[in-house]
Amino acid sequence: MSSVSGGGLMLGFLLPGANSLASTPDCEFFQPNAFLRLDKKGNIIIYVARQEMGQGVNTSLPMIVADEMDADWKKVKTEIAPYGSLPAGAHDTGGSQSVLIDYNELRKAGAIAKTMLIAAAARQWNISADKCAADNGVVVNTVNMLRITYEELVCEAATQPIPKEVILKNPKDFKLIGKEQKKSNLKDIITGKAKYGIDLKVPGMVYASIERCPVLGGSLISVDDEAAKRIPGFIKTVSYKGTGKPMHVRPGVAVLATSTWAAMQARKLLKIKWDEGTKNKENSVALFTKMAIQSKKKPALEKYNKGDITKLKLSPSNSFTAEYAQPFLAHATMEPINFIASVTGDQCELWGGLQLPDWTVNQLVADCGFKKENIKVNLALIGGGFGRRLHFEFAIEAVKIAQQINKPVKVIWDRTEDIRFEGYRPANYHRMQASWDTKGNLQSWYHHLVCTSIGVMIDPDTKDASENLGGATNDFYYEVPNVQTGFTNVDFNINRGWLRSVEICMNCFPIESFVDEVARKLKKDPLAFRLALLDGRPMFTTGDGPGAMKQYPQRIADVLKLAAEKIGYTQPRKKNHFIGVATHSFIFAKSYAAHAIEIEVLAPKKFRIVRVVAAIDCGIVINPDGLRNQMEGGLAFALQQTLKGEITIENSRVVQDGFRTYELLRYNEMPPVEIYTIKNDEEPGGVGEVGLPTVAPALCNALAAAGYRIRKLPLKNEGFEWV
Amino acid sequence: MASFQLLVNNKSYTVEAEPDMPLLWVLRDLLDLTGTKFGCGVNTCGACTVLVNNRSVRSCQITVKSCVGQPITTIEGLSEDGSHPIQKAWEQVAVPQCGYCQSGQMMTLAGLLNQIKKPSEDQIKAVMSQTLCRCGTYHRIKQAINLAIEEVNK
Repeated sequence: MSSVSGGGLMLGFLLPGANSLASTPDCEFFQPNAFLRLDKKGNIIIYVARQEMGQGVNTSLPMIVADEMDADWKKVKTEIAPYGSLPAGAHDTGGSQSVLIDYNELRKAGAIAKTMLIAAAARQWNISADKCAADNGVVVNTVNMLRITYEELVCEAATQPIPKEVILKNPKDFKLIGKEQKKSNLKDIITGKAKYGIDLKVPGMVYASIERCPVLGGSLISVDDEAAKRIPGFIKTVSYKGTGKPMHVRPGVAVLATSTWAAMQARKLLKIKWDEGTKNKENSVALFTKMAIQSKKKPALEKYNKGDITKLKLSPSNSFTAEYAQPFLAHATMEPINFIASVTGDQCELWGGLQLPDWTVNQLVADCGFKKENIKVNLALIGGGFGRRLHFEFAIEAVKIAQQINKPVKVIWDRTEDIRFEGYRPANYHRMQASWDTKGNLQSWYHHLVCTSIGVMIDPDTKDASENLGGATNDFYYEVPNVQTGFTNVDFNINRGWLRSVEICMNCFPIESFVDEVARKLKKDPLAFRLALLDGRPMFTTGDGPGAMKQYPQRIADVLKLAAEKIGYTQPRKKNHFIGVATHSFIFAKSYAAHAIEIEVLAPKKFRIVRVVAAIDCGIVINPDGLRNQMEGGLAFALQQTLKGEITIENSRVVQDGFRTYELLRYNEMPPVEIYTIKNDEEPGGVGEVGLPTVAPALCNALAAAGYRIRKLPLKNEGFEWV
Repeated sequence: MASFQLLVNNKSYTVEAEPDMPLLWVLRDLLDLTGTKFGCGVNTCGACTVLVNNRSVRSCQITVKSCVGQPITTIEGLSEDGSHPIQKAWEQVAVPQCGYCQSGQMMTLAGLLNQIKKPSEDQIKAVMSQTLCRCGTYHRIKQAINLAIEEVNK
């Protein structure tokens, strides 16, 4: 039992929209704010503003509200918070930010409800509120131990003033936070009832399949749809122009039909002539050659300088240089991209999954001429996000089509389009250099990231094309007296976007590989070498302002030590077994993780992953089950990138066309994994991405221990086989 | 267009469709049984797996006309309330993340267990490796498979 008068934090605030929702004339429910609603049967709906796409926010966020409300979790149902019910930004979902941004706000939302329910009970009993306590959906009179359920208090609670201040729980009094809870829509998923965007139907809806310009920046010359018209169910063909920044919608020709199948069949029969523009000859092999040359030059943008690297005298005996490369990657969500739009006069209505609905709406105002208040958004469950739906070019496409027919239109992308027409995780190339003194202590660290920037696709005039959240600067966490990091963008005519862990994955592979490489070169144990570089290092911060991010070296060391201990790093190893480790700080999600991976080399360039150990410190854990899910899934996601993920470009076109050529990890490739969590009371960090970055370097460091230093991903291109 | 009589989840349906329309789109667009998912349309991911005559089949690969007279089971019919041993195992282990591929995963396993009640690890691997999950729930799928096999062999 926890009491409102128990220890805790006093905060002053007023939740948005709260006043208008508290009381209802018919007294059917109690809704003190936009996040929750309690009805007379005791059912509680908790509205989740962040988009659920597998990362578990539809469980973790409601747990935070319910805990502070002292609600009975069994009576909680979750729903998507209607778009517009909350201020701008509330629905944005990305960067592992949901829990860490919403934590205190959601606690307040729950605490407000509890405070008002207690006030209502106190009034009924005619005692003061501090003689009451809340416990699992009931208010208890602590004088005579009488109990009254929340549902019995609905009417009374709704008449209570909304408190401007509430006391939040001391974390040691949490009842739900920190306890495993299964996904709130688990039952719907396993019975096939869960409705994703692709499953939605709107009355009068027709289906569209699109043929897009194969090259970014091209345009339509002509379309002949005579053959398409013969497909039963064909309605009409419409074409639309592309857009430039930020979303780079390709020009398209859409076939509208009475079913998905008819639309897809008819589309195949279109005869289209495209003007491909002038940038139609680019290819990724040449891009990597260009990036390699660029990496040896001075960075276009200096990101971080410490000491003076130029004053050091470097020679082959006291320094070492290596270059690392990683390819473009696709999101390849299992739910192919789809979206529904309806345009009637000056009104526009949307249905589907969007990670950034506010930006989508604003861009539709700019690109399609609607008034903001005339755009209605209906958000839907997303069948895998990973950053794919941070982009929303598919929504603009759907609207451009809907503008040409007086009916709602559902656009479904097929798998080939899904793989070929997206914003790819940038191709990246790294030149790394380290030097040491006569005692073998590191003297300098240089990291030049050359990359096809995401930022310049969003805004070509950007002053900083580097990826700010976790670029080379923020990722580098070892104590070295002289450090220089820099960034150079290389133009390339293919769109780029954010893919789960984006820059942190890009940078962690070279950093954690190179530090390992240097350790081995200096004949030092790679684990001890890292720990020595973290030992005594002061807290690192990216600046002084309120947005400054902090990084605690001790936490980076602790996850590494835990992973190493659990895999038995110091224990005798079986013949042909090798262990690699890697650690990092996921600075903008306030989380830390390390991996230790044991492999067995079965034959030259043939290996088996024996065991994977992951250690994580994300502060207070909301849902340990969700945390494990993200770490297990993060491993699978990152292994795919390490082993076989690769998008290549020829003639400015993506070569891969589906799962045969862009292979995902398979059931038989999933290694045994153990997850260990460091327990502390630090503020909760995000866990959706922190489980990825150390996988590739840990595996590659294990291979290095076996004699194979890998500087280029994926491994399939380096002649490796795995079982 | 032609008229077809289908038996889906023990219910009889009459659909008007082109004879070569894949069962996938008949289920999704015409019968509103959206638990069966579109993933690739070309037999590479398994998201659309259903049972036809108790065998797992990729519904994107069979036409509506070939399904006439053959009992079809989708995830909605494996059990409506989630009481089938496979669904129970999936629930107990809390397998899904985004959940999109999971009906395909469960139906793939259902087809396997209909043929072999106690499949070997190699048989499981051979079959389950054909159904993709991007969230990477394989670790839990494995646990759920073991639970489900235990349950059906009780």
